[in-house]
Amino acid sequence: MNIILLYGTETGNAEMLAEDIMVELEGEHTVECRSLSDFDPGEFDAGRLHMIVCSTYGDGELPASAQPFAEALKASAPSLSGIHFAIFGLGDSEYEETFNFGSKGLAELLAAYGAAQIGERVTHDASGSDMAEDLAFPWAARIVALAEEKIGEIA
Amino acid sequence: MSRAVAIVGSGPSGCYLAQALLKAAPELRVDLIDRLPVPYGLVRYGVAADHQGTKGIVRQFERLFERQGAGFVGNVAVGEDVSLAALREAYDAVVLAAGLSGDRALGIPGEDLEGVHRAGRLTRALYEHPDAEPLPELGPRVVIMGNGNVAIDILRLLAKTPAELAGSDLGAGPSAWLAGSAIEEIDIVGRSPAAEAKFDAVMVKELAKLEGVTIRVIGAGASDDPEATKKIAALEMLDGHATGARRITFRFGLTPVELLGEGGRVGEARFRDSAGATVALCCSAFLTAIGFEAEGLLLREELIGSAADREAGVIEPGLYATGWFRRGPRGTIPDNRADAQLLAARILADLDARGDAPEKPGRSAFPDWRSIVDYDGWKRIDAAETAAAPQDRCRAKIPTRETMLALALHREELPQ
Repeated sequence: MNIILLYGTETGNAEMLAEDIMVELEGEHTVECRSLSDFDPGEFDAGRLHMIVCSTYGDGELPASAQPFAEALKASAPSLSGIHFAIFGLGDSEYEETFNFGSKGLAELLAAYGAAQIGERVTHDASGSDMAEDLAFPWAARIVALAEEKIGEIA
Repeated sequence: MSRAVAIVGSGPSGCYLAQALLKAAPELRVDLIDRLPVPYGLVRYGVAADHQGTKGIVRQFERLFERQGAGFVGNVAVGEDVSLAALREAYDAVVLAAGLSGDRALGIPGEDLEGVHRAGRLTRALYEHPDAEPLPELGPRVVIMGNGNVAIDILRLLAKTPAELAGSDLGAGPSAWLAGSAIEEIDIVGRSPAAEAKFDAVMVKELAKLEGVTIRVIGAGASDDPEATKKIAALEMLDGHATGARRITFRFGLTPVELLGEGGRVGEARFRDSAGATVALCCSAFLTAIGFEAEGLLLREELIGSAADREAGVIEPGLYATGWFRRGPRGTIPDNRADAQLLAARILADLDARGDAPEKPGRSAFPDWRSIVDYDGWKRIDAAETAAAPQDRCRAKIPTRETMLALALHREELPQ
């Protein structure tokens, strides 16, 4: 499968996790890893699985590297029908009111333009006891299996 | 060609810089030099003990040493154990990322009274920095002067019940100190109106979780600015929060004028409000959290004052500065990451421009440095601290240099 891992990061934690997921998947798949700030909404590809790792910053806002992407998406308002994405969130339950709002907001934004979400949005809690990759690796494996059913033939 | 880069300070700015350098140029020899035997600076001794999520960036920095090949050179004070000139002689580039650890003074009469304490010193004691002074007696009425995130950190920690500190890395001594505190009332006072307060709205919102306090907010005011509006809204939400007996009052627009005391100990703080009237608050302790400045062996004013390109972080060819040491005491950890990434690009370009000039020896120029704590030494300290953590804590920090060094420098017998 052809996969692009896109990360929205503020402190670098989401970037590190995205790189770890790439290493985990690249044995069996073609994987590219990039910051959302370097991804143009025109690059969405129906033959590709878009896996997003996104944190939350400040008062439930998108992290710095996801903000220009979100702005560009709103400005170009493309139809993302036929585009598949999955999303993993990083947050901190210390700020419970806006916990993981970054990934939630981004998923809603992509869905609003017609993109189809594969699987559930899984979130990691920086104040919890799990390591992010212990949640993210099984998530990635499930997502890839689901995506193979849906876009396997195209890719 | 493998150039050698020394980064002075292993806090977030230094670590992010090393990360960016090694990501772009894995062949570089990068050493992070710290005057303490332990790495991570502000993450360990400045980020609040109950903000473990924020400390999660340490996992990135561990990778820096474990996979990206950076070296940790702990327990070496630049300016004392080695001169900056000698370091520059040995490394192709030297970067000052030592932060700002000195507390700014308020500059009003009475500041030297007993019972007046500065935020940085107090938090170093709370977070068990090896150079910390003993925790002071605060008495029943505390005034916190300042409206930044550090002021809020101190307020939150002083206000928490022991149960609310579960999961933190607050040590046994500081925990007992907090549990035994006689604090009945805390006033947090800002010189500016709430709209101009430096704290983040999210830090104010977090206070709505406090379980043993009654909070009053006086004069939060109004604003047209969206960021300021968020802060004011968060303060208004907080007003009237009542879960316990300890009283917290937010006050704004009060300029501190003088501190008065009897028998050498502070008893009253006097302010002037925006109308020019005097406002007096009784207090048994007065804590200032009004920002930081340079402290220590590196002569920052001189270095930064004469910088060739201060904005880019270039002091002189081959000598750079990043983070708070460059910019001054403004901006958060992610701001320093962005700063470090820009400087890394500049350093790589400068190193590239050296062409075939011979590479410098780096760390190997100092064979006689003694009692250096390397990364393995730190991991021994780390393992001991994690193993010693009581059930409701994630770590039990070792508070003295002596014990740190004993653990770090212990070498296992080598097999034959």
